Amino acid sequence: MAEPTEAGRSFDDEALPHLDALYRVALRLTADPSQAEDLVQDTMLKAYRSWRQYRPGTNAKGWLLTILRNTFINDYRRRKHEPIAMDLEAVEPHALYRSMQESDPEGTFFSQIVDDKVLEAIDALPPDFREVLALSDIEGMTYSEIADTMKIPVGTVKSRLFRARRQLQAELYSHAVEMGYIQARESRT
Amino acid sequence: MSRIDCDQALAHLQDYLKRELTEDLVVEVRDHLERCQHCFSSARFEESFFLMLETRARRETCPGELRARILAALRAEARGD
Repeated sequence: MAEPTEAGRSFDDEALPHLDALYRVALRLTADPSQAEDLVQDTMLKAYRSWRQYRPGTNAKGWLLTILRNTFINDYRRRKHEPIAMDLEAVEPHALYRSMQESDPEGTFFSQIVDDKVLEAIDALPPDFREVLALSDIEGMTYSEIADTMKIPVGTVKSRLFRARRQLQAELYSHAVEMGYIQARESRT
Repeated sequence: MSRIDCDQALAHLQDYLKRELTEDLVVEVRDHLERCQHCFSSARFEESFFLMLETRARRETCPGELRARILAALRAEARGD
């Protein structure tokens, strides 16, 4: 195994606890379980080989996710066609948000949707939205950690997240109405 | 300092709940939520959404077989195979 860092932490100690998070993010990025597995394995090997570049005490999860992301962009993204970002303005998110709220002010319908449907709706988002949402709202990274990982300004992280969340909410709301979890109500505003 | 309105509060609500706002804005949003029942309800709505993502979308774990495969690959790498 790689030699422990000066702080005495080995690669195993630092990296292995993040395997679940790496696997989940890989699933969201590739939307394909077998590609996700290959991506996680490639990531771990690359991380292991560049273990000396890791500064002990810094954010190991962010470091690993950055490697995962770069590997995905360089070696995986070109393999399949990605959905095109949908024109959010056309959806009138604000009006839709109001009608969601009037139908179910506290959003209890969110808890009725089955796990698979939640993941399916996330995976149907455009790739840029899916990625920020996974890193922030699923894996709990801060906006500035995400900005570092994705090499984009914090303001861009914020605006992408806002639009990703609205689009996902709209998707889940339509599903909940379809399934009869809630009654759609016309917005009065 | 002028007080923020509902549209502004709504625009900052998610970042407020994620503790990503500057201290000035935190105070503004918090004050607004205390005064506005409608936006307070929006905050509950967003919280339900975030809670759903934190719990329901985090249940997938790395398959045991993949974990074993990675460990084997790392051992092989360490031996210089």
